[in-house]
Amino acid sequence: MKELALNGVTQVFPGRAGTKVLAVDNVSFNLVSEPAKIVSLVGASGSGKSTIARAVLALQKPTNGTVTYNGKDVFKLSRKENDTYRRDVQPVFQDPYSIFNPFYRVDRVFWKAIKKFNLTKSKSEGQEMIERSLEAVRLTPSAVLGRHPHQLSGGQRQRLMLARVHMLRPSFIIADEPVSMLDAQVRKHFLDILIDFHHTYGMTTLFITHDLSTVAYVGGEMKTIFHGRIVEEGPVEQVLVNPTHDYTKLLLASVPVPDPEQRWEDRVEIVDGMPRVVPVE
Amino acid sequence: MSNVLEVRDLTVRYRTTRGDHTAVDGVNLEVRRGEILGIAGESGCGKTTLATTVLRLLKPPGYIASGDITFYPKEGESIDLLAPRGRRLRAVRWRHLSYLPQGSMNSLNPVANVKNQFVDVIKAHTPGRVGNLDERIAELLHRVGLEPEVARMYPHELSGGMKQRVIMAIAVALEPDLLIADEPTTALDVTVQRLVMQNLAELREKYGVTLAVITHDMGVHAQLVDRVAVMNDGKVVEVGDVKQIFAAPTHPYTQSLIASIPNLDVHQREKAGAHRAVEEQAS
Repeated sequence: MKELALNGVTQVFPGRAGTKVLAVDNVSFNLVSEPAKIVSLVGASGSGKSTIARAVLALQKPTNGTVTYNGKDVFKLSRKENDTYRRDVQPVFQDPYSIFNPFYRVDRVFWKAIKKFNLTKSKSEGQEMIERSLEAVRLTPSAVLGRHPHQLSGGQRQRLMLARVHMLRPSFIIADEPVSMLDAQVRKHFLDILIDFHHTYGMTTLFITHDLSTVAYVGGEMKTIFHGRIVEEGPVEQVLVNPTHDYTKLLLASVPVPDPEQRWEDRVEIVDGMPRVVPVE
Repeated sequence: MSNVLEVRDLTVRYRTTRGDHTAVDGVNLEVRRGEILGIAGESGCGKTTLATTVLRLLKPPGYIASGDITFYPKEGESIDLLAPRGRRLRAVRWRHLSYLPQGSMNSLNPVANVKNQFVDVIKAHTPGRVGNLDERIAELLHRVGLEPEVARMYPHELSGGMKQRVIMAIAVALEPDLLIADEPTTALDVTVQRLVMQNLAELREKYGVTLAVITHDMGVHAQLVDRVAVMNDGKVVEVGDVKQIFAAPTHPYTQSLIASIPNLDVHQREKAGAHRAVEEQAS
């Protein structure tokens, strides 16, 4: 069993005129590969979600606290351990455009991975692997291979990243707002594939989002983050049905109900920098 | 109820190396005075091209293949929107017809404070002299729930939601008859999104602005608009009262759009059968 853990992670950024911004405040939780789980991290922009993702992916060393992979600090891994960690913890980022180098064909993201992680030496075997993974995310290989990123839609580019994940079969996926730039139908399609991976290959997914409807869709567990702290956690069915923290309640009250017969009868107002729901006077 | 805007048989195409691509295909649509009209559809369906054509912001390789757009101001004669150029076009824009662009968080000038951005707009689009604007700017900011101090701030000092609301206040600075908002809530947090929707509703209720709101988010349509026009592949496939469209969509595309709305039901996947859904999409 593999384990990815945050132990008292705190991240401070320098702010305006010598002030300090506390982005993540003493956050601890762990993700395990068995049983595989989907864990959603929910919060507003600026709440520290992406900073946590960057720490888990060892892209940014936290000011305090550690991130460990199988008990070892991810910033102190040996070269061999680091290779295993890099393969076993795969990211899916928000912007399906900026992760591709616009000068290269999209095939390169696969061949780079095959080379780096030594998946195969044979060209034909590699090609077969890529095609199999593309089919797993319902992309037609001939329609995407040999293309440049700008020739593909946002949904296709995002699924290419899922195909890369499929090829590498990591234990952990760190998905940072992967669907916020996709529209409803494409979004659902993407989430279905992600859930399918979770069931079929037992990948544990840390799903970072500000959108509660996608959390409701993917299920599993959720953690609400507010001002860098985890303020509420539990199974999605429980937290979304009976939220206990005011901030989770506010988030729930802000999701537009897709029924014109059930319009909001109260208002949201910002009182002392904190939005809250108030009745209409 | 009188119309503010009438679009008749509008077809807009883009020239490409592989022949012309039709983005808006024979669209007929009217916007009634005092209403909030929603324009729904997925990305690439022609919503934004329709808006830019109405605003005469369409740039080559895009061109209008056929159709008419007529605008009816509160006072005076109707205007053929496809005719005016230069100064006359500038007189129509903003005073009669205003625009809240997509990704408007990046629409503010980073090196000017908020007040100066109001002043620029008001000077450019008002024929006569403009007088002291401080009070007017404070009042406009108040309409969208911002403090008068915001006028002295620069865009980088504002949060995403505040920028969006500043742009809204600038868009209605000249009391337009019609405001076209393109994806006004996309890329905002839910709570900020709700504030922006609240502000849009208030522009109509308190200040009588007619709105056309373009968004792919059916939740926003359900909460905000009076009538919805559903676009698919450049065509308006269905127009009607929002309650009626949600209760009984007649066009299959509208049905699929409503069916794909994300919701908060935590048991939806068991109900739908997640694996079956995956298989269906594969075919």
